[in-house]
Amino acid sequence: MSKKNFALHTPFAATLLDRRMLSADTALFKVAPEASALKELSRFVPGQFIQLSVPGSGEIPISPADLPAKDGTLELCVRRVGQVTEHLHSAATGARLGIRGPFGTGFPIEEMRGRPVLLLAGGLGIAPLRSLLLHLLRHSLDYGEITLMYGAKQPKLMLFREELSALAAKKQLRLYLTVDFAPEDPTGNFACAVGLLPDLLKGFCFESDRSYAAICGPPALYRCLTAELQEAGVEPDRILLSLERRMRCGIGRCCHCAVGQKLCCTDGPVFRLSELQTIPEAL
Amino acid sequence: MEHGFLKQTLLFEFMEALRPFGELHGPTVSEQGVAGFAALPDLSALQLDYQRTQIPPKKYLIPFKEDILHYQDGSYRQVPANLSDIVLFGLHPCDLEGISYLDQVFLAERPDPNYRARRERLTLVGISCQLDDFCFCSGPWDTAPCDIFLRVQADGYQLTTSSAKGAQIAKVASHFFSEADPAPLPTLPHHSIAPQAPQLRFSDDPRWTVFANSCVSCGACSVCCPTCYCFDVREYPDLTGGCKRLREWDNCLFVTHGEVAGGNFRASRLERLRYRFLHKYCGFSPLQGVCSCVGCGRCKEVCPVDIDLRELTEDCRLNDRGLP
Repeated sequence: MSKKNFALHTPFAATLLDRRMLSADTALFKVAPEASALKELSRFVPGQFIQLSVPGSGEIPISPADLPAKDGTLELCVRRVGQVTEHLHSAATGARLGIRGPFGTGFPIEEMRGRPVLLLAGGLGIAPLRSLLLHLLRHSLDYGEITLMYGAKQPKLMLFREELSALAAKKQLRLYLTVDFAPEDPTGNFACAVGLLPDLLKGFCFESDRSYAAICGPPALYRCLTAELQEAGVEPDRILLSLERRMRCGIGRCCHCAVGQKLCCTDGPVFRLSELQTIPEAL
Repeated sequence: MEHGFLKQTLLFEFMEALRPFGELHGPTVSEQGVAGFAALPDLSALQLDYQRTQIPPKKYLIPFKEDILHYQDGSYRQVPANLSDIVLFGLHPCDLEGISYLDQVFLAERPDPNYRARRERLTLVGISCQLDDFCFCSGPWDTAPCDIFLRVQADGYQLTTSSAKGAQIAKVASHFFSEADPAPLPTLPHHSIAPQAPQLRFSDDPRWTVFANSCVSCGACSVCCPTCYCFDVREYPDLTGGCKRLREWDNCLFVTHGEVAGGNFRASRLERLRYRFLHKYCGFSPLQGVCSCVGCGRCKEVCPVDIDLRELTEDCRLNDRGLP
């Protein structure tokens, strides 16, 4: 069997290097794959996903929070929410993991060149979008103005907030943060809007006839935001959505992840709104 | 392609001659009266005049449950296949079409190593069939993709080979054959129920609710379908620090099928029923537009609440025409 096919069906070995808690139940994991995986992983496009194995527990699809580093190290932002993620969260540094991939379509980063990009993230949806954001910032001369609107339930659930604020302070991106609910902040050093993401988008001035919008978040968010974006004049084929489904095999076979007649794992997970508009159960 | 005529009286001798090519399996009936494909150590168990087996022959290619990976000492490894050659005798055209569809799913792109290993060791011998009340295929009933096909005649079988493996078998068993029937084999359209209109998306028809209200989500239609193949993947640790990853048949009518963390994309029975039929009749990427129903009638026969596919599709078509 060729090395290429190997990554399709059998995970590469990987090692858990580091874990940094971002909120009470969400952490950023650094995972180093074995050297033989580097060639496969170098093909990574923001928005694609990997299948992460936690031995003895199972495999889950994760869209990395950044492109692999030169040495192949991956950053995976994972919430403790099920059996596999629970085991990952309790794994010790140095634990053995497995990686298959990259799988699926990423964001159309070539097509987006020269255009302003509006990123809209809700909750954990910031993870795949961070990988797109960091890519755009690394090649900021190739793209138009970059804006991130990020909504979380409350300030302490806002992931990467220092990092994002630092980027905004360097004027690398326009950053708008909002929370559904804001208890008193004793430190008094965190300022953001209170309200829902679609409200933030309302009245926002941007070049809607040229911009690309990339959305990732819970399903309810997609429905509100796509309506707002279209109203603002963004064409449906420039509205990009990263969908979540239960991808078991990652290679278009197990049939858990169909969105209409498309498969989330091979035709997605990044779709254009124009592809999804006729599919009732897509969003 | 080679032709020959096999007299009825020589059938068992011919079948015995197939044994060197693999373990002989064919249609049998269990003590409980259930038809199923099983090993034939003794040909007296053969029930060649069967209508349909309860479980389709997909079980030879996609086992109900199989280990796909073992984890030991820090890495996952594929499980070495320990397979034997099998000659599967007496498959009806619909089941052969079903296998042909599974081949497209599992071998066309990114071939599945386990499926491929099993498929390469499987020799298919088809036989023509008689329709009953449950069947709803459009034929043909006397030709299908396989290694050897037997067309039932008055006093024997007209035999046709359609693969190198089939030709090899025919060569070894040539002394059983008399002159071939000179009548040419008919070329007939693809074996499935009538093609569906592309606009038939089963989406908004209110009759879906009627069907969904009677469906009990038992999943029998999917288990018995020769082209239903969706699977779940599970992993279990063992006591030595290793673990096993296995895949097993899953069922899109079960509520767990559309689950994601914190939600379910097909929580209602209606959505699940529609999901199954969308897949079956319209196909998922990259087999979009390919209808995978072969009309074997199993789903209709096993459904405990008598959901009949034909009513469903006929009803939808009526609706497409704007009729009530």
